[in-house]
Amino acid sequence: MNDLSGTTPRKGSEAFSHLGRSVEAIRAELGIEPVPVEAIRDPAVYELEREKIFRRTWLKVATDWEIPEKGDYKVKELQVADTSVLIVRGKDGVVRAFHNVCTHRGNKVVPNSDFETFGKARANVVSCRFHGWVFSTDGPLRSVPMEEAFGKLDKACLGLREIACETWEGFIFINLADPPEQSLADFLGDFGKLFAGYPYAEATSAFRYSTVLECNWKVALYAFSEGYHVPTIHAGSLPGFSGVEHSDFKLIGPHASSTIYGLGMEAASSTAVFASRLVANDHHGPRPDLLPPGINPTGRQDFQFELPNIFPNFLIHLAAGCGYPGIAFFTHQFWPLDHGRTLWEGINYFRPARNAAERVAQMHTNALHRNAWLEDTATMEDTYQGIRAGVIDEMQLMDQEFLIRHAARNFDAHLAG
Amino acid sequence: MTDTVTLPGRFEDLAPLVATWARPTENARSKIRWSAGPEDFSDFYEVMLPRLPEILDYLATVPLEGMDEADTNLFCLAAAFAEAAPHHELYGGSADVPFSFSARRFVPGHGDVPSWETGRN
Ligand code: FES
Ligand SMILES: [Fe+2]
Repeated sequence: MNDLSGTTPRKGSEAFSHLGRSVEAIRAELGIEPVPVEAIRDPAVYELEREKIFRRTWLKVATDWEIPEKGDYKVKELQVADTSVLIVRGKDGVVRAFHNVCTHRGNKVVPNSDFETFGKARANVVSCRFHGWVFSTDGPLRSVPMEEAFGKLDKACLGLREIACETWEGFIFINLADPPEQSLADFLGDFGKLFAGYPYAEATSAFRYSTVLECNWKVALYAFSEGYHVPTIHAGSLPGFSGVEHSDFKLIGPHASSTIYGLGMEAASSTAVFASRLVANDHHGPRPDLLPPGINPTGRQDFQFELPNIFPNFLIHLAAGCGYPGIAFFTHQFWPLDHGRTLWEGINYFRPARNAAERVAQMHTNALHRNAWLEDTATMEDTYQGIRAGVIDEMQLMDQEFLIRHAARNFDAHLAG
Repeated sequence: MTDTVTLPGRFEDLAPLVATWARPTENARSKIRWSAGPEDFSDFYEVMLPRLPEILDYLATVPLEGMDEADTNLFCLAAAFAEAAPHHELYGGSADVPFSFSARRFVPGHGDVPSWETGRN
């Protein structure tokens, strides 16, 4: 334990105390047995995951501030569900999601050769390039070239195929089930409350990275789900990272969370100069007061960030400027492309720089964090190869790896259900 | 080349570094870093670190929108240093982060966007 423990509970924190678990409670609830790796190795499990998890659960696909204006859209390829998704803000200001599939003969309405692209629908319509069918951004089929040549065409039934789409704290989720078994609010449950209220939408300056990893998606997810690796894997980029403590374990239905406390690293000389532009002001500096009350409930001064797993493939690391200088929060997402291929997306979110010096300082923080991510990702393909070698059948998990134990158990439960 | 580089008055002596290091986008700066050696990093570092507080003091007076050519050059140079300094301080002069995934496989979504544009988020 670092010697900076807060003593007084923060106002409102008691409402979340039922989520907290001691190490003993975690062990009692989740066990201490090794966890089988077969779910990572077996392609048949991946097929089940597609059907029973990814086609049925809420998945974060965008944020409000990515598509702020009417007509703004994002196209996201979801290989895991064999579809392309169009998320668009209609002329009524409402964000909707559709299969990016033309109802004429199936072409993509908005062409996209990347994993995701952004654009703006002019005049609040999107039109398919193949034969020119035109759809409103709220879904209906508006016009068809040479319509009379179809003999009979029931345009009212030929709108874009809508996908359930709901927003939580500015994060836009979709659910491919028709209809979903539960609302987004019910699905997020206490997690949604625990993380609610932070001004996520103010941190609109994003640095995004992605890469395709030759590994099962759970290998990537698990590597970002624990603090055990920090002193070893990050010895290069976080030298002298002192007193890292991964604690405040919380179990929240299919989700879970935990906290990284620590005294931070001894900043290198350049980092000290850059960081001084970000830590010494209210705009970018540490704002522990903005953390929702269930996070860092005793107000410890060595709080670094909250590290949750949001079922099934999303992480929001909420830092409020307390960890890496200036970072409000950062997210990870793990999209299966195939049983053994994964698209990883990592995004650092800052509040907008108010001048050129703050921007450069953010770029320094971002570079340090990106480099730490390079260390994290270095393990993933090797781990997957090792698991496929067939010489180990289980993972040995320690207390700080409980998010992995919890996630693995949840995946099993969903596949069995 | 260097005599065509403009910089705000008191930073004119940094012009040779601008020609070598300063580029507007993350992708362009990464390319330069990936081909740099320990001496390139240490030479850059020795000149820049002592000047950094003064550079940032100046840039703190510059709005990101509508920077003139001289301010843009200084911004790009500071940006290059922001990304290059850890290679000298932490990675022993290596262009790669030791024991890491290939940086060339990481795709920055903003890689070809000038770094002063905060743009699509
Ligand atoms: S497939 Fe879209 S108009 Fe024909
Ligand atoms: Fe890590």
